[in-house]
Amino acid sequence: MFRIMTRAALGLGALVFGAGMALAAPDPMQALRGKPAGAVALDPMSALRAHAQGGEDMAGNPEFDGLPDGPGAEETYYQCVACHSTEIIKQQRITDLRWDELWTWMVEEQGMVEPDEETRQVILSYLKENFSSER
Amino acid sequence: MTQPSTHTPETAGAKGQSRRGFLKTTGLTALGSMLGMTIPFERNLPAGIIPVALAQDTGADFMAGKEGMVVLGDRPLNAETPAHLLDDDITPYKHLFVRMNGLVPQNALDQDAEGWVLTVDGEVETPLELTIEDLQSRFETVTSRLVIECGGNGRAFFQPGTSGNQWTMGAIGCPEWTGVRLADVLNAAGVKDSAVYTGHYGNDVHLSFDEDKEVISRGVPIEKALEGDAIIAWAMNGEPLPALHGFPLRLVIPGYPASVSQKYLNRIWVRDKEHDGEKMSGDSYRIPAYPVAPGTEVPPEDMVVLTEMPVKSVITFPRTGTELAPETPTEVRGHAWCGKGDVAAVHISTDFGQTWQEAVLDAPHNRFAWQRWRAEVTLPQHGYYEVWARATDQDGISQPPLSPVWNPRGYANNIQHRIALVASA
Repeated sequence: MFRIMTRAALGLGALVFGAGMALAAPDPMQALRGKPAGAVALDPMSALRAHAQGGEDMAGNPEFDGLPDGPGAEETYYQCVACHSTEIIKQQRITDLRWDELWTWMVEEQGMVEPDEETRQVILSYLKENFSSER
Repeated sequence: MTQPSTHTPETAGAKGQSRRGFLKTTGLTALGSMLGMTIPFERNLPAGIIPVALAQDTGADFMAGKEGMVVLGDRPLNAETPAHLLDDDITPYKHLFVRMNGLVPQNALDQDAEGWVLTVDGEVETPLELTIEDLQSRFETVTSRLVIECGGNGRAFFQPGTSGNQWTMGAIGCPEWTGVRLADVLNAAGVKDSAVYTGHYGNDVHLSFDEDKEVISRGVPIEKALEGDAIIAWAMNGEPLPALHGFPLRLVIPGYPASVSQKYLNRIWVRDKEHDGEKMSGDSYRIPAYPVAPGTEVPPEDMVVLTEMPVKSVITFPRTGTELAPETPTEVRGHAWCGKGDVAAVHISTDFGQTWQEAVLDAPHNRFAWQRWRAEVTLPQHGYYEVWARATDQDGISQPPLSPVWNPRGYANNIQHRIALVASA
């Protein structure tokens, strides 16, 4: 059911709060600057994507189904492929907060068994480093 | 339900090592051609790992009937259709997008509907237990062309990125469905005044193989369910539902995200409140109640269920990148659709949105079928051009040239589709 929100003081902060945004002056044109040319020259939609697809730098480590090398690649691989392939991981360009939320969702809703705390940190750091919209 | 036959069932969270090395492939090219599709990450698939899509049914290549699809993920299996393969008025099996939330049930792979029952219960006068034969004999059979579109179609174009499968333009299709009207079945059960929402259930297999976990269970407001367009279908394009598309029974509720069109349907629970099944709550298929800036973190209590999909279109001919002669009229065509029902107009531009010409727009074959549009373009001189398509709905609302209002989960992106044309003298 659609819920009408009545908020007496819906400040700028509530509408604009997000990673890396300057609270004082949101600038929609900023997001259009410096976009890389599309990976596929004759497909204009490819230039509009959150990240370019393809290219040698996307090759990754074959031993881990194409996850990029780096600390935590192996832990991430073994934790995740119990249920789903690495393809969904490699598509993501999301915030640190969203990765934390996804982890919680997988544990609470999808039956994922958590590793020990140290491994959890290693995996989340790896995901946030390699599949980020913030860096 | 039976476990897939080619690997050991595992408890949730077990290490991935035991999934390795089922079968040796003869090479990725062979695998790709057996699947009948392009795998963009093909070079990253190590030899020795078969996607579960194949492992589920020993030696079977049940994906062979798909052609030219772009695979987003192999487990769960998700694949979209390039725009130029969406040209048919009725989307054939080979070009219909695949969206699996879990694994395909074994009975669907076996095309075995023995003993299948659809339960209709909850806020109804008379709960029903209907076999497929009951549906076919007790209710009027209807055949309709109905659009199904993933709620996340277009997600790839949101910036900053949003989580989920990064569909571009191809999580859309318009097959011809045969079944009975959902409204007729609900009315036979007698919907009580207390009814608010439906809850849909199927026998999808959860990725963790936990039999107690629902893979997906969404629903619609009862008013939507009682409209005359939705059907309970047993056939697609004149054949029993394919395994990937919901055998033996599914809902098709057009105009809303296709996740409400439950596959492998075995129960409709009429509820006295908004349904809270799997992927109804949290922020699944929810959008902010008010517009937010890109990248905003929205409190859960401010997220509301996405219902009506926005107006949209796709250019299906020519294929992007096609070379043409300048000063020569050529047809450009595609389809348009809208969550409200009929599309009112389609316009195209060949000069980056500076000027627009109206396309000829056909009436739909039936309500909620997509509508064919055609236009003639003449590229004035040698050079690079883009064709942009913009559909407008009954209320004068058009597709935006850039992504519409951002939302944290990347739903309902109806950005205008663009293709490239090159005029070579």
